[in-house]
Amino acid sequence: MVEQIERVKTYIQGFDDALQGGIPKGHVVLISGTAGSMKSSISFNILFQEAKAGKTGLYISLEQSYESLYKHILNMGLNLNLINIEHIDDLGRIGEVVNGTKASDKGTIIVADMGCIRKEIKDIRIGDNKSWLNVIKNIVKKIKAETHCENFVLDSLSALYTLSRFEDPRVELFYIFEFLRDMGLTTFLISEMPLDCSKYSEYEIEDFLSDGIIYVRLTPFRRNVVREISVVKMRATACNNDVYSLEFKNGQFQALYGGQNPLL
Amino acid sequence: MKVAFGFKKLLNKGKRGQIQEKWKFDSKSSLLAPSIVADLDNSGKKHILFGTNDGKIYALDKEANVKWMFNAQEQVDDVELMFFDVETAHSIQSSPNIYDINGDGKKEIVFGSEMGTVYALSFEGELIWKFKAGGSVRGGVIIGDVNEDRKPEIIFGSGDGHIYILNNEGQLIEKYEMGSNIESTPNIIGEKIIFGTNDGHIYCIKHTGEELWKYKTEGKITAQPSIGKIFGDEKNYVIIGSLDQHMYAFDEQGELIWKYKTDGAIYSKAALADINNDKKLEIIFGSCDNNVYAISCTGEKIWSYETDFWIVAPVIVDDIDKDGELEIIAGSYDHNIYILDAKGNYMLDYVPGLSSVLQQTGSYSDVVTTEPGKIVGKKIWQYQADGVVVGCAFIDDEKNIVVNTRPGKINNLQHQER
Repeated sequence: MVEQIERVKTYIQGFDDALQGGIPKGHVVLISGTAGSMKSSISFNILFQEAKAGKTGLYISLEQSYESLYKHILNMGLNLNLINIEHIDDLGRIGEVVNGTKASDKGTIIVADMGCIRKEIKDIRIGDNKSWLNVIKNIVKKIKAETHCENFVLDSLSALYTLSRFEDPRVELFYIFEFLRDMGLTTFLISEMPLDCSKYSEYEIEDFLSDGIIYVRLTPFRRNVVREISVVKMRATACNNDVYSLEFKNGQFQALYGGQNPLL
Repeated sequence: MKVAFGFKKLLNKGKRGQIQEKWKFDSKSSLLAPSIVADLDNSGKKHILFGTNDGKIYALDKEANVKWMFNAQEQVDDVELMFFDVETAHSIQSSPNIYDINGDGKKEIVFGSEMGTVYALSFEGELIWKFKAGGSVRGGVIIGDVNEDRKPEIIFGSGDGHIYILNNEGQLIEKYEMGSNIESTPNIIGEKIIFGTNDGHIYCIKHTGEELWKYKTEGKITAQPSIGKIFGDEKNYVIIGSLDQHMYAFDEQGELIWKYKTDGAIYSKAALADINNDKKLEIIFGSCDNNVYAISCTGEKIWSYETDFWIVAPVIVDDIDKDGELEIIAGSYDHNIYILDAKGNYMLDYVPGLSSVLQQTGSYSDVVTTEPGKIVGKKIWQYQADGVVVGCAFIDDEKNIVVNTRPGKINNLQHQER
C-alpha cells in the first residue's frame, strides 16, 4: 500500500492541484521572486489559512516591521480576528508569547520582528560565537519545542545574508538547511531574485538544498505588469510545471490559465 | 561514572599480547578533544584530564575515579544565551594544557572555552585566575617563556581574530590583531609564535607582534604546528596541515621546504618521530581521506593506512607494548582505534595474482593492495570504541591508551602480554 504523504496547501486556488494537493509536510521550500511579486503575502497567507484551521505558525521578519506587515495583511482583507497573533519584539518576551499561544483557543501566528529586536539589543557584541543566525535558530527551536508550531516562514534569505556574514556560505547554508529539516517544520524561505531573474537564490546552492522551489514573477504586458507563478521543483511530488497567472481577489489567491497564454 | 570493569579480547596478530578494555567512563556530555595524562602533584600518580561539551573539566585517576571536576559553565542571561549556538555554548573544544605556571612545583591546568574565557586551575581543580577574551577560544593554549622574563606566558588565539599573550597571573601582556579568526593552537620556538588562521594563513610572529613570516594556504587551519629537527641537525622546522588537504613543511625562516597532498582536509597536529631509525624525524598524521600517513622528512610517502572514515584527531607515536618498536595510535571517525606498526610492512613476498586482492579495512589482513617492494601500513590491533573517536592519549608506564569519543565515553585500553 502506498503511504499517503501529508501536505500543506499553498491556499492558491488552482495551484494546489499542480502540487498533488500541496507541499509535503516538513519540506523546506524556496519562494523565489523579484520585489513586488507577493512572495511575503503568499507565505503569510499560508500561515493565516493554517491558523484558521487551529495550527500554529512562526513568521520571522528580518526586514519588514511588524506594524508594516500588520497593515499590509489588513489591507489584503484577511480577517485577523479569526486567529490569534502574537508578536515577539523583545527576546525577553518569548515566554510570554509561548504562554499566549498555549492559552489561545484559536490557531496562532507568531511574528518575530527582528528589526525591532535588534533595536532593543544594545550591549551584546556579535562575534564568532554569537550571531543573529543563532538568535533565529534559537527562536525557532524554542517555539517548536514549546508550542505545536508546524509551519515557518523566514522573510527573507537575502536579509539573513546581510545580517550574518558567512565565512563559507556553501557549508553554512548546508547546516542551516539541515537544521530546518531536523526541526520538522514545513518551511518557506523567501528568496529575493535579481531583476534579471537569472537565479532563484543568492548562492544557487539553496536551489539544490531546498526540497522545492516556487517561482513568482512579474511579467510586463503592453502597459501592464502581470504576476505569474510556477513550480520549479517539489520533491516527492509529481508536479505540474505550467506557468499560471497569479491573481489576488476578495482575500483569495488564484492561479489561472495554467500552461496557456492568458494575455492574448 | 564508572561503567564497567571488563575485559574485551581484541584483534591481535604479528605482535605479542593483546589490547583489552580496562574500564569505561561516561562523562554524560559529548567530548570534542583528546584527554591529557599528567602527574599533577609530582606524586608519581597519573591523572587523566579532559574537557566536555557542557563546559566541565574532569580529572580522573587511573581507575576512573573522579578526583575533581571543575564547572566552567558561565552564567549568561537568557537574552544573551539566544545569541549562542546552545548546543556548544559552554563547550571546551581543546585539550587542557598542564604546566607549572607559578613555579610552585605543582602543575596547573590551563584551558579556554567557547564563551571566550581562559581558566587556570590548581592541581586540585580550584580556580586560580580566569581571563576573558573577545571571542571564543576553540584552540588550545600554549605555555612558554617567549619574552625571556623567566616566567611562562600563556598564548592562545581567539575567534575575535587576535592572538593573546597573558602573563602567568592571567593578565594581558599584549594582543595582536591577525585579521581572521583563530582556531589553531599556537606553538613556539624561543620567542617566535607560530599559528594558523581561519583564512588559511600560517603566521610566525615575535612576542612583540612583529611579523617574521607568513604563508597563505587555500584552506582554514585548525591544526597546531609541529616543531622539530626533522633532518636530524640543529635546525627547527615547522610542519602544519591545512583544510586545503596539504601538509606543509617550512624552515624557521618561513621558506616552504615541501608540501604533501592528501585527498582530504587535515585537521590536527602531525606527530614527529623517528619511526625507521634513520636519525631523522618522520611526519605521521591523519587526513579526512581516511588515511594515516607516514611521510619522510623530505616530504615523500613512506606508507599510508586506510581506515573506513575520516581521521580528525591527532595520532600518537609510542611504544605501546614495550618491545622496543614504535607503534602508531590513530582514532578514526569510523569508531575504531587502529594501532599500526610504525615501520609499516615491507612487501617482499610477491605472489603473482595476489597483489590486486583488496585489503578489507576494518578487519585484519596481511593481504595488501600495494605492489611488492613497497612499504605499506600495517595494522597490529584494532578496537571498536563507542562512537566517533575525537582523540587518544597514552599512559606510558601502564601501557594504557585513553580513548575519547564524541558520545562522551572514555575508554581505557590496556596492552597485556598473553
